[in-house]
Amino acid sequence: MRKWTAYALTSVAALGLSAGLAAAQDYTIGLSNGWVGSEWRTQMIDEAQAAAEAWSERGVDVEVLVQSANVDVPGQIAHVRNFISQGVDAIIINPNSPTAFDPVFAQAKEAGILVISTDAEVSSPDAMYVGIDQKGWAEASAKWLAEALEGKGKVVAINGVAGHPANQMRVAGYQEVFSGYPDIEIVNEVNANWDQAQGQQAMQNLLATYPDIDGVWVQDGMAAGAWRSIMDAEKTGEIAATGEIRKDFIDLWVENDFTSGASVNPPGVMASALNVAVFLLQGRELAEPADAGQYGNALYLPIPFIDGGNVEEAAAELDGKPGYYSYTSQLSIDEAEELFK
Amino acid sequence: MASVSSPVHGAAPGRLKRLFERYPFLPALVILVVLLALNGVFAPNSLSFRALTGLLSTYLALMLLSVAQAYVVFASDIDLSVGAIASLVNVTIIVVMQQLGGGVPSVLLALAVGLAVGLACGLANGIVVAALRLQPIVATFATSIFFTGLALYVLPVAGTPAPAVFWRTYGGRLLGVPFVVYLALGLALVLYLLARSRLATQLLAVGDDAQAAYQSGLPVTLIRIKGYALCGLFAALAAFCITGDTASGDPLVGGKMTLLSVAAVVLGGCALSGGFGTAIGAVLGALIIGLINSLVFFVGTPSEWQNLVQGLAILVALMVGIMVSRRARA
Repeated sequence: MRKWTAYALTSVAALGLSAGLAAAQDYTIGLSNGWVGSEWRTQMIDEAQAAAEAWSERGVDVEVLVQSANVDVPGQIAHVRNFISQGVDAIIINPNSPTAFDPVFAQAKEAGILVISTDAEVSSPDAMYVGIDQKGWAEASAKWLAEALEGKGKVVAINGVAGHPANQMRVAGYQEVFSGYPDIEIVNEVNANWDQAQGQQAMQNLLATYPDIDGVWVQDGMAAGAWRSIMDAEKTGEIAATGEIRKDFIDLWVENDFTSGASVNPPGVMASALNVAVFLLQGRELAEPADAGQYGNALYLPIPFIDGGNVEEAAAELDGKPGYYSYTSQLSIDEAEELFK
Repeated sequence: MASVSSPVHGAAPGRLKRLFERYPFLPALVILVVLLALNGVFAPNSLSFRALTGLLSTYLALMLLSVAQAYVVFASDIDLSVGAIASLVNVTIIVVMQQLGGGVPSVLLALAVGLAVGLACGLANGIVVAALRLQPIVATFATSIFFTGLALYVLPVAGTPAPAVFWRTYGGRLLGVPFVVYLALGLALVLYLLARSRLATQLLAVGDDAQAAYQSGLPVTLIRIKGYALCGLFAALAAFCITGDTASGDPLVGGKMTLLSVAAVVLGGCALSGGFGTAIGAVLGALIIGLINSLVFFVGTPSEWQNLVQGLAILVALMVGIMVSRRARA
């Protein structure tokens, strides 16, 4: 028993020592991710860590501390409190809730910590958002679909989780775009919970119910599932449908010459947020204040778009990566600097 | 007994045994102190007054939920719906506060409604389990789905903000002392009084041997229902803390806390088979879980291992606690 405890203590001490050796940084930035359900999130953190290392070329040492685990909202609030205890300079968070962090972000700001959310907007006036506009993301692919259909036809939509804030913004986005095309009719909208298999199932049902549809608006990984159903029904040439950004899908797209277009929600958003954060920590001022979005605290990043015109370039860029790797883009340090005075 | 066969070492284990029987939460207290010290070693700031207050306000909800769980575990029952009850109360009070304008009277009314909802859920569980005699683990799992459904009906989307007066009070200070400190002191007082109450003893008696309790004239069914009712009330209090700390409504917020509350109860030295344990132990257990989560981060565990190490550490804490108390009670 005692020997065992001693062993446990030594191993903990060894871990601590290795953490303590990396001393003498200029900035410490905490990254919090509250959901570990997809490779996209893993890639997001890897890219952010790489971005932090890249700062050494500019003579700035950026140490990142990562807390990434499947937690509920109180658990992610604990992440933020841990960062406050550690005395980080900035916190970058992919938040599990849009509103629940108001109190703890207020405490972080009180402690002099810069808070940036990415991937999902937060209502806190003490934080800013650096990422893409989820509504604009949906609008871009809806617009592509409407043009691909030359402004007329029957369309179905396959959405994510009902009631999820990001899903709601996306639904609002495509509905707004389609309402501008009087000859496009949305015949049905279903939820497939951002799950590839459910997306495939939903598409099968939709094809059985509406054999004459012309277009499909579908998000993220569900698109790969939907396209499989379209291929099974041998309608690849007749239907235009939105796509997604993982290498597996893009390869399939090139191979079968889909009529597809995909808005890119790049996993590099956290890396972009990190680059913005470092400039803010250096006391630089944004050229344009971050006041976009429904909460008035957002700095929107450009949304790349993949369609028939550039899908082969995207495929070439992803060559050699694993199948789950997402097409990505991020603000380089130089590009981030252009946002500042 | 050991003390008879080995008189030399007999006295100390005998005393230790009595100590553990009187205070079943002692192993948990030791683990807690060790964890606090380790947190202090790896992140000295984590022992600052502000960080400790933060720890309290983050984990007060789990502490209360674990206390709720403890009272049903005393009677050899279990409640897998505590998290769902907390979610339901959370969205209920958010909606009531919003509908009534968010002033102080509306907040107080919302809290009263919240307590009533918690109590009603607890009574429903009690009736299903004790009066209708369904298996507690399955019955409360079913009611948890039902309560979650109700919560989704009350507030379909996470996000309605709480009035500022509510969360600023919870996260603020009163006479220079953080509000959560008063809440913790209040909780300690309530737990002290409840520990000396007849109900706590009766619950433990039922958990120890329901047949014997029945034969000695205790109203076993009524006592178990009372245990679930108490559990519902504490789950409502936990929901108040969640609402104070997150300042918004979320119909799924408490879901993941249910099993954590069971773990906390066991970490705190309660027997899941009932009849043995303390509510204060459950509070310590909740803090242990919280401190383990922060320690895993403070020692610098790489992000891809954090979930795994957290799980292992909780397992180790459970083993240490059980080994210590088993040795002491043997």
